[in-house]
This record gives sequence, structure tokens and C-alpha cells, in this order.
Amino acid sequence: MSTGSGVTLEVHGLSKSFGGVKAVDDATVEFLPGKINALIGPNGSGKTTFFNCVTRMIKADSGTVTLAGKDVTRSTPDRIARLGLGRSFQVCRIFPRMTVMENMLVAVRNPTVSALWRGAHDPEQLERARGWLRRVGIDHLEHAEARNISYGQQKLLELAGVLMADPEIVMLDEPAGGVNPALIGRISTLIRELNAEGRTFIVVEHNMDMVMSLSDHVFVFDRGRPIAAGPPAEVQSDPRVLEAYLGV
Amino acid sequence: MRNDSDLQATGRWAGLRRSPQRMTGLTLVVVVAVFALVFPMTTSTGYLLSTGVVILNYALLATGWNFMGGFTGYISLGHAAYFGLGCYTTAILIDRVELSWWLALALTPVIVGLIAVPIGIAALRVRGASFVIVTIAFVLILLLVSQSWVSLTGGSTGIMIPRPFDGLTRVEHHRVFYYIFVAALVLALFVWWRIDRSRFGMGLKAVREDEDKARALGVPTFWAKLIAFVWSAVFTSLAGGLYALWFGDLDPVFQFSILMGAYMVLMALLGGVRELYGPVVGAIVVGLSIEFFKAEFGDTQFHLVATGLLLAVVVLFMPEGVIPAVRGLFTRFGPQASSIREETAEQLAARQDAVGATTPGSES
Repeated sequence: MSTGSGVTLEVHGLSKSFGGVKAVDDATVEFLPGKINALIGPNGSGKTTFFNCVTRMIKADSGTVTLAGKDVTRSTPDRIARLGLGRSFQVCRIFPRMTVMENMLVAVRNPTVSALWRGAHDPEQLERARGWLRRVGIDHLEHAEARNISYGQQKLLELAGVLMADPEIVMLDEPAGGVNPALIGRISTLIRELNAEGRTFIVVEHNMDMVMSLSDHVFVFDRGRPIAAGPPAEVQSDPRVLEAYLGV
Repeated sequence: MRNDSDLQATGRWAGLRRSPQRMTGLTLVVVVAVFALVFPMTTSTGYLLSTGVVILNYALLATGWNFMGGFTGYISLGHAAYFGLGCYTTAILIDRVELSWWLALALTPVIVGLIAVPIGIAALRVRGASFVIVTIAFVLILLLVSQSWVSLTGGSTGIMIPRPFDGLTRVEHHRVFYYIFVAALVLALFVWWRIDRSRFGMGLKAVREDEDKARALGVPTFWAKLIAFVWSAVFTSLAGGLYALWFGDLDPVFQFSILMGAYMVLMALLGGVRELYGPVVGAIVVGLSIEFFKAEFGDTQFHLVATGLLLAVVVLFMPEGVIPAVRGLFTRFGPQASSIREETAEQLAARQDAVGATTPGSES
């Protein structure tokens, strides 16, 4: 099992512009290791761009990202993933033409040449994959092509796929987006359980009920940088947050 | 009740589940393989044998192309570059360096594989249409170089390679090369199959589906693509080396031809790029069609139009390729099965009870 409570993720002075638009503007965030961190903010406040810059899916203009004490500012997304930072995408991304099981077997944490050359359907990996599928509740769909399962099931598959790489830090971009309330409850429970096992979570979410009940620490983004941070109850009553959200 | 996960055997025989479809496929492969091996012994017509060699050469080229195109979805239209490099490397090693033909042939894939490393590093920085253009540019550069570097390549007059086997008649020459091509094709198919079922292959297929997602899951996509690219160049150049030895006469215009690169793509797409035997099936269809149309339409360029029409028909009606289309027909008339297991209300309730009764543990 992962014991990632000590793994830190620190971001300093991160900036990213698209043309004249500053999507992320000198953002400095130190996530709490071993906790459920939430990232909230109005639409267009730069949360997803920040996410993408941290995982190097997009190259930031400036700033540093430190993962587990290592500077990963110039690293590649795959190396960051292998260092223990798993992520999901805002619009659920799975491998549509592969089966549910094959989707699970893609994740790589510690590739060695002999491991990569070995059969993909290695019994040990299959068992691990089945364990995760069972845990998110879609193990009965193992042989189905991923494009044929429902959107909610695809969300669960994406989460299971990320967990298959055994990340210490899990970044989820809108895990409750487009899924029904029952499934939101299931995802929340799962996040809580996985957090209790030592995994750090960083969740971007618009569903305030979920954020407030789930997270230990909330970062509020506005115009590309955090304007407030703290426990959910504290952040909720922060005048800067109310202004950003409601314009009052 | 049948348990689907029981079918997913985890033992060493996992790949040999005997579904009727699988057995039919296996039988077909055996029949075609036996025919391919027996065919040269039943004929002494030079034309038929040389057509067989041409089709095998196409099959090896298309299978070589499919290491890149099939696994990663990166479409290279300029793969004739590695065919041409293979031809010229073998020829130069024999004619200029004066190595024996077998040593020249053995060194060719190694040398071209090494040349493919820096090319791959440059070309794989871009995706989609840009990658296609880079590959075309490379074959055109090589065409100009081979035409201009007269002291090495013989320029536009080309280069002649002496026949490797002395004292063989023309028919015997074709027959020997037929079997050499078969052996090379079997080797290429074996390596493709081995990659296909490996974890490395799973990473490559993930690149084909969604490269960014694969990276986010830790797949070192750049290296994976580069390795596939080099394997692809290795087998394409092997086909080139064999062609040079068989044909004996090289000309830059034919060796570095965009049309040859396009044929490789079309053969692979026609048979099915996700299939082991897809490019081979494509090569048989395209190779036979070209020969048939050439015989029908003589020296006119109409055989190209006819080939184009054939390909248009296949793309329109079998967009996934011939093999998946035929398999689809087979399943349509075979027993119906859904890819998603349907459950009765009782089964669903029983499963939910079972999930609720056990506290989820940490299986990982």
C-alpha cells in the first residue's frame, strides 16, 4: 500500500499566458501532504490551466514546481506521473477502443526493460487491476470496450486507471462533473478511504457541497492566483471569496 | 452461470482460448501458410514466382510500416525512405565495401536502424499532419541525395548488384528469394506479435488512442514511439536489402518513391492496422490487383486508377480494413454475444449485497 503522507507538492510563482490573457498569474501554492486539498474558483479562474502546468501537460512561462523535494519544472508529464503524481482530466479521458481491463494495464509506475517486454496480461497486474475495478464497482465490465460503458462508469474507470499507477498524490479535475448524485457520494467515499490510506488528494471541483464536506483545506482561485486558503468553514465566510464568486 | 473472468485464464495458455472464431482464424492462417510454402514448388513459371516475391516484399514492407502506423497511429507516408536506405546500404556494402552479400544484408537493418534514431528524435517531436509532412520531406531529401552523390550511389544511372547465388536459373533465383522473403516476413510478424502482447505494446496502443492521457499515466511516450519507429525502419530496410539482392538493379526514382510509401500505408489500412496479419492481407489484395490491372490495361497508367478505385471501395465499405470486416460478418452470422454482460435484477441485487457486506479493503 502507498504511504504517501510525506510526499509534498509545492508550486512557486507559476505563470502562464495565452496571448494577452494571463490564465495563471504568479500562483504560489503549497499543498498539504496527506490531506484532501480542494481548488475552487469561478469559471476561468485558471484552475485547470494551473493543473495542466503543474503536471507539465502545458509548459508554464515561469515559476517552479517541486514534487517530493525534486524540481520537476522542466520534467515531462510521464516522468511526473512515475514520480507519484496521478491525475484525471476535466473531460473524462479513457482509451475508448481498448477494453476496461486494457485501460487499467496501461499505467506505468516503475518501468524496467524486462517488465515492459513481459506479457501485458501478467497475472499479478491482472489481479491488481481487478482489485481496483472491484473497489470502484465496475469489475463486471472488465471485458467491455471502454467506449461502450456509461459516462459515470468511464469516470470510475479513469479514477481506477490513475490509481493503478499507485500515486502518492492524486489530482482530480472535476470528479463530480456530469455524474449523478449517487455516484458523487460513491466517489467522495472512495476519496476519503484512499486518503485515510495515506494518499494526498488535490481536487478541482465546482460542486460546493462536495468540496465543503470532503476537503481538509481549500484554495480559492481568482484571476489566475490563489486569493484565499484555509479550512472549508473559514474560506466560506471569507469576504474575498464571496466577492470573487458573487461580485459583492 | 458462466463466469467471464474464468475465461480470462491467467496461465501460460491464456492466448489459446478456443472460441470458434479463433479456431477459424487459426485454420485460415494455417491454410494460407501451407499454400504459400507449397506454391513455389508447384510452378516453374518465372512470372508467377516473381509476382509471389513482389507480394512478399510488399507484405514485409507493410508489416514493417505497421510497427509505427499500427501501434502508435502515426501515419508515415515517407516510409519508402527506409526501403531505399535498405536497398542502397546493401548495394553499397557489396559493391563499394566489397562485403559478402549475407554480411551486407545482416548489417543493413542495423545501420538503417541507427540512422533512424536521430531521424525519429526529430520527426517524433510533431504529431498528426506535421508528422506526415516531415516523413515525406525526408524521402524527398534522400531522393535528391541519392541522385546527386554519384560517387557513392551511382546517381541517376543507379547501381548494379551481382546475383548472390551463382549458377541458378532465373526461376530458381526467384524460388530461393521467395523463401528468404517468407523467412523475413515470419520474423517481422513474430516481433510484431511479441510487442502486441507486451506491456510495452499496451503503452504504444495507448499512444494511438490518446497520447496525452498515456503520458499522464506514466507511459514514456517519446521513447516508446522512438523504439517503434526504429523497429519499423529495421524491417522496412530489411525488405529493401532483400529487394536489392533479388532485383539486382537500383534506381533512385523507384527506391525513394512517394508512391511506394503510399502503397505501404494503403496495404496496411486495407488489411487492418490493428491486426497482425492485416498488412499481409492488404499486400496480397493490392499486389494481386496491381498485377491484374497491369495485365488488363497494359502499359497505360490506368492500372493506377483501377487500384485507386479498389481502395476507395474498401475504405468506404470496410473502413477498419478487410480482416475486421470479415470478422464482423462472421460474428453477425455466429452466436450473438454482447461485449457487456447483462445481469438480471436478482444478480445485480446479489452483487450489490455482496459489495455492501464487505468493507472495501486495500487490494493494491
